[in-house]
Amino acid sequence: MQDISLHLLDIIENSVRAQAKNIKIRVIRNVQKNRLRIIVEDDGIGMDSHTLEMAQNPFYTSKQEREKKVGLGIPLFKQNAELSNGCFKMASEPGFGTVLTVDFELDNIDRMPLGNLKDTLLGAIVGHAEVDFSINLSAKEKGVEQSFHFDTAAIKEELGDIPLTYPDVIEYIDQSLQEGIQNTNMEEV
Amino acid sequence: MKTLADLKKIREKAQEEMKLRGGNVRIKIVVGMGTSGIAMGAREVMKTFLEEIANRNLTDVLVTQTGEKGLSSMEPVVDLIEEGKPKVTYGNMTPDKVKKVVVEHIVNGRTVSDYVVATGN
Repeated sequence: MQDISLHLLDIIENSVRAQAKNIKIRVIRNVQKNRLRIIVEDDGIGMDSHTLEMAQNPFYTSKQEREKKVGLGIPLFKQNAELSNGCFKMASEPGFGTVLTVDFELDNIDRMPLGNLKDTLLGAIVGHAEVDFSINLSAKEKGVEQSFHFDTAAIKEELGDIPLTYPDVIEYIDQSLQEGIQNTNMEEV
Repeated sequence: MKTLADLKKIREKAQEEMKLRGGNVRIKIVVGMGTSGIAMGAREVMKTFLEEIANRNLTDVLVTQTGEKGLSSMEPVVDLIEEGKPKVTYGNMTPDKVKKVVVEHIVNGRTVSDYVVATGN
């Protein structure tokens, strides 16, 4: 994976496979604390403490389709966070869901870039119409906070039976995310 | 700034169109978004499908993302599913190949056999 947004996409797919109906994503860039924080919270089936530990092991996967039993998604994300003096935390409760908090040191030279957050979010939202996404972007810099909130449940309610893949809807979501990412200065992070 | 009022307009327009042609989905596109797919460029493949759908105003196509499919060596992998036809799986996809599949397969109804890695269920 070349950037944090690709890891985020991988984590979202994990939540979907865990049958999440609601996924909350927060990206917080805090210059004062020198920290870039990603939080993904889902209401999927969750994991017991054994599975939770195993999920961080590269030789474990829950994917039955895999011939070779490796699962690199979570271990690589963890490694990349720790390489930039950050940390990776995962908490879960069977039947309730999973919360993942990943911190990166903002100005660390080994930190991977945030990457294309917009394409990650657009693909996930349109590609999983059955899941409601709540997205919060926030930037704290020089005592000023800029934030952006995007909630797909409200959009689906407004659209009624019109699918998210309807061309104008794709453009609407794309432009909304673009504005939010620009307003919170998340483009070149 | 985009507002919910914009969505209302889109909804009205879409509902008019659906009255004319019915709300049927003709082709379902399924993009494999497992870890290996993502590492090989599946996000860009997904994005290109969405761009093409928007640019060409394809209103009878549905795109979804799915997890691992056991074809890791051919990622990114995409399934095209049409009613009454065997499923077509395209492999080693790139944004350029997506554009070709959209024109040939989705718009003109001809399978791009060079990119096919599996057919049937």
